[in-house]
Amino acid sequence: MKLIQKNIVPIVFIILCTIGFQYSGLSWIFFANDLMTRLARNSFLVISLIIPVLAGMGLNFGIVLGAMAGQFAAFITVVHNLTGIGGFFAACVMAIPFAILFGWLTGILFNKAKGKEMITGLILGFFANGIYQLVCLIFIGWLIPISNKALLLPSGVGFVNTLDLKIWQYAIDKFYVFRARGIDIPVLKYLNNINIPVLTLTIVVLLCIAVVLLFRTKLGQDFRAVGQNRHIAEIAGIKVDRVRIIAVIFSTVLAAWGQLIFLQNIGNVQVYGSHVQVGTFAVAALLIGGATVSKATIGQALLGTVLFHALFIVSPLAGKNLMGSAQVGEYFRVFIAYGVIGIALALHAWQRLVKKQ
Amino acid sequence: MKRFAKVMFAVALVLALGTAAFAAPKIGIMTGTVSQGEEEYRAGEEMVAKYGEDRVIHVTYPDKFMDEQETTISQVMAMASDPDLKAIVICQGVPGTAAAIDKVKEVRDDIAFIVGTVHEEPYMMAGKADILYEIDQPARGSSIIEKAKGMGAKTFIHYSFPRHMSYPLLATRRDIMEKTCKELGIEFVFVNAPDPTGEGGVAGAQQFILEDAPRQIEKYGPDTAFFSTNCSMQEPLIKSVVKGKAIYPEQCCPSPFHALPNALGLKVENKGDVPYILNAIEEKVKELEMEGRIATWTAPITMNFIRAGAAYAMGYANGEIKDKADIETAKKLIQSFAGGEPKVVVTPVSHEDAEKATPTATYITVKVPFNGAFLSQTVKVEVKQGDVRIRPFDAEKAQNFLMVVGESIIFGK
Repeated sequence: MKLIQKNIVPIVFIILCTIGFQYSGLSWIFFANDLMTRLARNSFLVISLIIPVLAGMGLNFGIVLGAMAGQFAAFITVVHNLTGIGGFFAACVMAIPFAILFGWLTGILFNKAKGKEMITGLILGFFANGIYQLVCLIFIGWLIPISNKALLLPSGVGFVNTLDLKIWQYAIDKFYVFRARGIDIPVLKYLNNINIPVLTLTIVVLLCIAVVLLFRTKLGQDFRAVGQNRHIAEIAGIKVDRVRIIAVIFSTVLAAWGQLIFLQNIGNVQVYGSHVQVGTFAVAALLIGGATVSKATIGQALLGTVLFHALFIVSPLAGKNLMGSAQVGEYFRVFIAYGVIGIALALHAWQRLVKKQ
Repeated sequence: MKRFAKVMFAVALVLALGTAAFAAPKIGIMTGTVSQGEEEYRAGEEMVAKYGEDRVIHVTYPDKFMDEQETTISQVMAMASDPDLKAIVICQGVPGTAAAIDKVKEVRDDIAFIVGTVHEEPYMMAGKADILYEIDQPARGSSIIEKAKGMGAKTFIHYSFPRHMSYPLLATRRDIMEKTCKELGIEFVFVNAPDPTGEGGVAGAQQFILEDAPRQIEKYGPDTAFFSTNCSMQEPLIKSVVKGKAIYPEQCCPSPFHALPNALGLKVENKGDVPYILNAIEEKVKELEMEGRIATWTAPITMNFIRAGAAYAMGYANGEIKDKADIETAKKLIQSFAGGEPKVVVTPVSHEDAEKATPTATYITVKVPFNGAFLSQTVKVEVKQGDVRIRPFDAEKAQNFLMVVGESIIFGK
């Protein structure tokens, strides 16, 4: 009973996804492949949220800035035509200075708004989007010269709204694709014919290991100490503000890389839109995995990514088939997906209440 | 019981295989929901009714298409996972379409893509989709201003926001509008409105228009023409224009069905009945004493993109169109729809004229009532298509990107 109570959010989601899958009429192969793609492209972003949670800063909606850093790096590779896996990793390297700068600024802001990091991060995302649009729409081609005119609007100022990333699409996803065949074991045979992007998943696994190892170092312990109680940490001689800024910088850099992994799979970048949803979706996925604003694990991040995207795959078609109308399917999907995130938050609150009693 | 289950399974299997073997080829249609604009969705429904539920899969892209591109991709991929599906029509081609087409082509190269109203970069999209239909936005840059001038405009207000101004075609149109305004001596005013996909949502954008348009009329006087680049802003804009007796030259997506009926409080029962709605708007405009102040195109253009697109897709699926990018057929199809309903023009002529005329022209003799008797008279009968112009976006690099200009109508004139 306690186990159910503890994991009520993921359980509700598993049930919903199963029912949704039944009604969606999708084939298992399609569903599994789509889910695998989405897991590979989103899990890195979700994991990037863990460090600030453990450092007591709640869910970092500021990862939108990390995504912007990643996109700036992507633009540089497109302008200079850096192709293939080399181009992708060049983008990862170039994203670091941007991400450190953005993370540092975010961290300073968060230190001024202790206890309200989440709402601050959310609004900061909107604000940063304004500046981002200013840079990409007005400064590019005017203050920042771009040699390749095909990337600019006809007036010569500002990026066009979609940039093709063919130059390094699938740089890591298609580096080595593993496809199981001929597994006969009853339960495992469902894994046949699923395209597994080995390198991407390896990178995600490495990241997971790195996060685990990080929390064994002195810095990691400082994160935890600050997360548990700022005042005690302060008395113990930890420079709380500094540790918090470092936590945000880590998160922002990881988000920048996460966004690059996302983009290399999608294959083009919506200059003015690709980063907008990053914060909310990653946060939603983490919450669905069973994490709370003060506690999150890697397992929860991965489980949450799987469940959140499984629901997004099945719910439009399930809604359409259940309601018999294409657009009701869309409303149904929005209602279910966001409604359940609301429920997830309510259930967390309820769990906390039960714990207190 | 077990045996019964086995038999049932066998029957199900036979049925499944049977339908698979004889299944008719299908097409997929992806439209928006009715939240932003109703026309595309209704046209999608119309296609399902026309070709049958077993031949057409109709799905929608998310309302928040800017944020949820992954859903757009998944929806298109889910359609393509049906082996009978041969062509997909996407209207509007919201951001995410390019990625979705790429993803489908990785697994299935045989599917033809027809995209209407292209949001993403035109050259890139021309390389991805097979046929693209778009309203001729650059041409509208001058035609809307000329029309507004003819309607008596002294000032031209252009409502838009940064996201739309990052669409190459819309940005070009704005620049041409500004230039044409200068040439014709009209004051061009760019007003920044909130983005309906932003924090405030559609409601915020609509409220802004309701508040701002009267302010502008007060400032520049009623001889001000209003234009907005966004669908959801049209209805509040028309309402404000009617209230302030200003000028409304065209919607973002010109059509007699787009926002006009709702804003004017007209009831539309049949979305396909063009002459009816043109007539109804005409009467309402006269009633409101707005003659010569409101205009649009006679044909509902985005609906026609879907109608022509679906006809093309069906032709390709049935094997009647061999080439995926058969530009000539695509042109003919949009021509046949975009002209609106064919108009029958009847002109009385003399017998001598009829005899002198070429035998191919249609002349008939009709009996018309005259003073209690019937008088026989010769008339010339012509079937006129609406005036539609089609040109490629780029005659060299993007021939499959077709840009369409429809026929204009100014109500009450």
